[in-house]
Amino acid sequence: MNRHWKHSLKPYLLILPALFLAGLFAYRPFVITLLNSLYTVSINGQRIAFVGLDNFRRLFVNESFQTSLSNTLRFTLYFVPVNVFICLSAALLSHREGKLATLNQICFFLPMAVGLSSAMMILKMIFNPFIGIVNQLLGISVEWFNNPNAAMALLVIAGVYLDIGIKFLLLHAALRNIPANLVEVATLEGANPLQLFKYLQLPLIAPTLVFVLATNIKDAMLISSPVLILTEGGPFRSTQTLVYQMYLEGFKSGNYAMGSAIATVVFFLTFLLLLALLQIERRRVYYQ
Amino acid sequence: MKSLKAILATILSLIIVFPIAYSLSASFFSWADFTAIPARLLPSQPTFENYIRAFRETNLEQFLLNSLITASLGMMLRMTISITAAYTFTFFNFKGRDILFILIVATMLLPSDTLLLANYTTIRALRLTDTYLGIISTSLLAPAHIFMLRQYFKTVSGEYREAAIIEGCSDTRFLTLLLIPISKAVVVTLAIHSFSTIFNDYLWPLLVTNKASMRTIQVGLTMLGFSENFDYGPQFAAITVLMTPVLVAFILMHKPIQESVSTRFTGR
Repeated sequence: MNRHWKHSLKPYLLILPALFLAGLFAYRPFVITLLNSLYTVSINGQRIAFVGLDNFRRLFVNESFQTSLSNTLRFTLYFVPVNVFICLSAALLSHREGKLATLNQICFFLPMAVGLSSAMMILKMIFNPFIGIVNQLLGISVEWFNNPNAAMALLVIAGVYLDIGIKFLLLHAALRNIPANLVEVATLEGANPLQLFKYLQLPLIAPTLVFVLATNIKDAMLISSPVLILTEGGPFRSTQTLVYQMYLEGFKSGNYAMGSAIATVVFFLTFLLLLALLQIERRRVYYQ
Repeated sequence: MKSLKAILATILSLIIVFPIAYSLSASFFSWADFTAIPARLLPSQPTFENYIRAFRETNLEQFLLNSLITASLGMMLRMTISITAAYTFTFFNFKGRDILFILIVATMLLPSDTLLLANYTTIRALRLTDTYLGIISTSLLAPAHIFMLRQYFKTVSGEYREAAIIEGCSDTRFLTLLLIPISKAVVVTLAIHSFSTIFNDYLWPLLVTNKASMRTIQVGLTMLGFSENFDYGPQFAAITVLMTPVLVAFILMHKPIQESVSTRFTGR
């Protein structure tokens, strides 16, 4: 009997660490965040009084929040297509044979080797309007950190730089996995590169593309670290995003209730956007 | 058409590599080179001064050490937990197995950034702020890794394990002597990925460390505090020290890296 118990208990013991971590650092904080968003919370993180949806009501009339919400959605709207376009271009353009092609491919995934904060420090320096090299090489005088539109553009550039390495690799691998004879036949039948892409390559890499889109939407909705290092939300809150505001509310102002309410909004908004993507996918993408 | 593709690809490559090449060059700039107008591409007179200052005037070694410790420790724990869980979910039959598996994998849907505040209060309550364990705590569970490892382990027939166990082989021996060696490719890829994820993490280590001596390199780098008067030299030296080993490794290993991605995500 004893041995039997030991035997049947074993699998549970083996998955216990994973279960414990899932509970402690995923489900418990999730429930706490949802609860906190419905309460007033002390600076020590103790819930004081149930206030229903009051936090959300206050949030949605809060000007700073409206700015964060619109900035985050705008960032997502700019970042996702720009990033997909650049990563896909990199994958398509370097989908060739030869030494130069290999060199191009290495260049495209090299940004992966640069850590987030290193990359942001480099961008901060080279986009400096006074002494930075970018303005000078392009012969422009854009105030990257003082002009709201330029700062948003810079944030998009930063996002692309952080993401291009891995997304290039994924898309490139998807292109390489298309059977060569299919491409050959299509070319022999006289398909031009555009037709080749539209009717053969695009449908076959669609599943990878959906994965890229989904992670991009999620990353864009949650963007915070680049904001923190690069622009600190400025100028005039023009790059203040939702998670950045959550960080400010929670850690700078000690306002856990508001921070939790923002986290809840981000969570559901991201979830909805991903659901919408999956709906489109179900109708448009065919898996082999 | 072919050459047009090559030209466009090369232009895009140059743009993408530019920030990396520039920071290598800038790490040898003198202070005057940084403020030169027009801005310089190459140092007027290459100097190692920045490297010397980066190590002498800052806690760079401590930051690096903290990052290496947390990333290695975190990677080992994360891989152990993931492999054990994936192994159990693949080869054991027990009540509630599928539900528990879904429960763990579903945590992928709860982005850790939205849980920062609550996780921070947990870590503070456990008195783990300013500790290595606190820094790695939220990275230890990797549901995507567990999922992927299980996919791989499933391709190994359960009969192998039964035969091995009947022959008196323990689970630990079966795992370390058979299963891990034959899944080497995916295990190595996930280990590298774990290491770099923890090494590159920024927001969480920033939140849970207050003492300068506990900061990781990613946090410390942004606080080197020379940039007020355009004295970027030591910062660029530190960035170069940090990225050069990884750059070299990536360039040397470009083939296996590309292959691991294509097998990892397409199952071929």
